[in-house]
Amino acid sequence: MNQGLVVTQDGETTAVEVASNFGEFAISIEDFERATGWQLKPEGLCFADTCVPVANSSVLTNNTHLDLVEFARVTQQNIVFDRQRKVAALGERADSRSDSMSSLLAPDFKLPDIHGRQVSFSDFNRRKRLLLAWSSW
Amino acid sequence: MALDADEVAVREWVTKEQLTMPVLIDKYHVVADLYGIVNVPAAVWVDENDRIVRPADSTPGSDLFRDFSNVDSEVHHNLLRKWVRSGERDLDDARVREFQVKPSQDVQLARLHRRIAIALRERNQDGDSSASREHLARAEELAPLDWTIRRGNMPLVGVDPFGDEFFKFVGEWSNAGRPGFKLGTGRVKK
Repeated sequence: MNQGLVVTQDGETTAVEVASNFGEFAISIEDFERATGWQLKPEGLCFADTCVPVANSSVLTNNTHLDLVEFARVTQQNIVFDRQRKVAALGERADSRSDSMSSLLAPDFKLPDIHGRQVSFSDFNRRKRLLLAWSSW
Repeated sequence: MALDADEVAVREWVTKEQLTMPVLIDKYHVVADLYGIVNVPAAVWVDENDRIVRPADSTPGSDLFRDFSNVDSEVHHNLLRKWVRSGERDLDDARVREFQVKPSQDVQLARLHRRIAIALRERNQDGDSSASREHLARAEELAPLDWTIRRGNMPLVGVDPFGDEFFKFVGEWSNAGRPGFKLGTGRVKK
């Protein structure tokens, strides 16, 4: 079985098909676009209206699969992956996270509440918000 | 928002305390990453225009652990009341930036190893946990002084978060100069 899992920056997990004979951690292009919201286009890797050119496309893709490790390199993201267990996690690099924090713009996020309903931080916008982090540990 | 992989424990506490505010479960520590949260309990203030007006800082709800934390919880509560009622802040933007805890690249990679560990744990609930533990251990190597990693991992590997391992960690953290939140709201001198 080549069934794997990708965890994206926003904490979403997507089941993906992992290639056995291409790249360091390559997944089908369809799964890639579903998991990350990025698209592979003739002009490069695109997220919404922004495209990043790809210099060496044969390293990135074999036309059925796309290597997430190369994708992370081209788009300057972090990636950690476990090839054996077929799980990869993508995230922000320290420098870009530090820059976004310095902007003082409160980033939006969406998480399940204790009843399993999805709640966004922006559901409470135009109000003062106290964001409290706690835990059971 | 609970930085917690244990939904059951979160639900139990919220039900017991009859909380009326929205309580979200952040298994993958997404908000910790976005807002630079390295320990709990912590609070961030966000205003009506989506601006961060106070960075994450240690903010206990009560003085239950005051002897340990050396924090007078009322100081933050009073600042918060003032801001909610009058909009008056205790920090300007420059000070907010100064007191944010920016991550290192190692911490960012530790967070991703932790996410892989949680994903493996969810996928393999009753089975072998060794793969998950490998990634938790790697996260601790990369971020040995981050409480959300070190202490947050403890219940995931069956270690008492108030036991010997915890106090060993506190010792390491103290010897390293107590890195983490820099603001020190309500800190009392001993």
